[in-house]
Amino acid sequence: MKSSTAQYVMGIDFGSTTSKTVILDRAGNMVASAIAHKGSVSNDGAMVSMAEALQQAGITEADIARAVSTGYGRRMLDIADKSYTEITCHARGAVHLVPDARLVIDIGGQDSKVIAVDANGLVSQFAMNDRCAAGTGKFLEALARAVQVPLEEMGPMAMTAVEHLSISNMCATFAETEVVALLAEGKRKHDVLGAVHAAIASRTLGLIARVGKREPVVMTGGVAKNVAAVHHLEQVLGMKLRIPPDPQIAGALGAALFALDEITSPDHADEEDRVDTEMAAARCGTPTCTAKKPLPANVHPLHGPALH
Amino acid sequence: MSRDAIFSAFEHAAEQPLESARAWKQAHGTPVVGSFPMHFPGELAHAAGCLPVILQESQEPITVGHGMIYPFYCGYTRSVVDQACKGDYDFLDAIMFGDHCVQVLGAADVVRAKLPNTRVHFYQLISSMSDPWSLGRARETFLLLREGLEEMIGHPIADDAIHASIQLFNQNRALLRRLYDLRRAGTANITAKQMQLAVKSSMVMDKASHNALLQQLLDELESSSDRQQRGVRVYLSGHFCQAPKLGVLDLIEDCGGIVVDDDLYHGTRYISTDVSEQGDPISALAEWYLARNLKVPCPTRVDQNADWENYLLKAMENSNAQGMIVLMAKFCEPHMYYYPEIKEAFERHNMPHLLIETEHELTALEGLRTRIESFLEVVKRQANAQARRVAA
Ligand code: SF4
Repeated sequence: MKSSTAQYVMGIDFGSTTSKTVILDRAGNMVASAIAHKGSVSNDGAMVSMAEALQQAGITEADIARAVSTGYGRRMLDIADKSYTEITCHARGAVHLVPDARLVIDIGGQDSKVIAVDANGLVSQFAMNDRCAAGTGKFLEALARAVQVPLEEMGPMAMTAVEHLSISNMCATFAETEVVALLAEGKRKHDVLGAVHAAIASRTLGLIARVGKREPVVMTGGVAKNVAAVHHLEQVLGMKLRIPPDPQIAGALGAALFALDEITSPDHADEEDRVDTEMAAARCGTPTCTAKKPLPANVHPLHGPALH
Repeated sequence: MSRDAIFSAFEHAAEQPLESARAWKQAHGTPVVGSFPMHFPGELAHAAGCLPVILQESQEPITVGHGMIYPFYCGYTRSVVDQACKGDYDFLDAIMFGDHCVQVLGAADVVRAKLPNTRVHFYQLISSMSDPWSLGRARETFLLLREGLEEMIGHPIADDAIHASIQLFNQNRALLRRLYDLRRAGTANITAKQMQLAVKSSMVMDKASHNALLQQLLDELESSSDRQQRGVRVYLSGHFCQAPKLGVLDLIEDCGGIVVDDDLYHGTRYISTDVSEQGDPISALAEWYLARNLKVPCPTRVDQNADWENYLLKAMENSNAQGMIVLMAKFCEPHMYYYPEIKEAFERHNMPHLLIETEHELTALEGLRTRIESFLEVVKRQANAQARRVAA
């Protein structure tokens, strides 16, 4: 049972293929983080990552003052007091890890997302892949199977590609067929894998184009640990990516930070409950908004009532 | 009738439009005239003693129609072709096709080929709206439509009959607009689904019956006041020929959005403009055709005096909306042409908006939920941050 005098907060990212849990103390220090791989939106996975994080921190559920969930299964967790979408939490976590970040690229198991962040660390725009798994962790997994190379070896192997091959970035199933055809033609696995990672990068570039390119760019999610994916993305973007030490936990960290807000500055928390009256008062989001002030010269919000 | 009973009557007609039209025909012996959506003046068919029915996208999976039309046509045209192939339109006495986009032309060809025994009247409305000859050409087209209908019923349609139909249709539009006013003002909590059912049923039901139901509904709504809803005020834009899926509308509200206004065809676009009840009725219809494009600009028309993005910015201001969700039917070319300008204008004005591409085949809504929730979170958090800055 959670108590308001407890000393810790918890963020749980209940993702499509993995679950991540982060525990912070009241000062915002990370005291534990755990990742569990349990397959599609698995309650077991979430439980395992939470139990592991509690154990790491040497505490029990009773020491958790507030828990916030995010990710695909965010509403399925009874322990969570509140949930936010992965867009909001990933942006929060990534900005915490890289405070001047303006663009967050997150490639996870089932989806990829690109989030533009404004100077206040707030999301201004985002784009997510549609139903197709092309350009996500799933895409890499399927192709690892086709090439018969363990997932974690794919990246390093792809980095040794010599011949320039190309495969389609539009559909995971088509890409798999193309990979099999290239192998049947006698192409080297290394070169085929080079093409696979280039396809992920070009697919992601399409998402980036939807929100607009800006720097610095942080990459989070499991695919950020894949050297070849990072390399090809840097190539197509023409800029360096910043990769936090634990790129997979950004969402859970963001959720934990929201939980922390709620116990340390309740005034700013519970946005949902307060927001409508405030927005009505500010008439924000309308072109005639009387509250508007000129934007600072270095701020260019793409949209959103934003920074006036 | 209670509010719920009225909405279920709307739902029955809106969700089974062909069945309800067939039942009306059987009960009243009225010929049924099907039409494509967007620009057909139902008043003329009504004045000819027919029941005008705007052909709707069906929720059925597209099967036999697949072989007759490209998969990269919009869901509306593919569904209409599929319905024609399945024999769903066999009971129609006539079909009036306009040519508001290339895809609709392709669909019209297939439907015509599939229904050799049905009277098909094809009309071409001038699409350039601000030329000196636009009004005259629109009038000529409506005259031809009148003649086509007269040929079908075997006698002339009197001007008085057209005037009476115009009056009835104006009443219908005015009643629906009152419903919108109540929602915009927040005195009646009408969901996006209910609003769609109210408008869509008007496209397929007998207008006098629809007016009677609307009047009852308004009497009830105007005599009471609902509790003010909480959430992000959302404006819906887009979707022309087909009604947005009800699941998508429910999802937006389920995620914490309150739909306060729209420019949907199954919404304000359909009811925006009245026809003059004076003078030559055909000229009045031609004037209506040009005027409504200035009221709610249509991407299938070319009009130097109409500017969709400015219209949307203004409409959001009028309804005090905080964010706009654009619903774009996949492969809808007219919408795709205009969207970049809307996106640019909204970004320039710092107005939050989210694009959702919809498909006939769209069934799994969970992926959409994350995008909609994220969007509403963005709007809320940005607005909160601004409110704090204003307070500081
Ligand atoms: S306007 Fe768009 S939705 Fe309507 S028929 Fe043409 S392509 Fe389809």
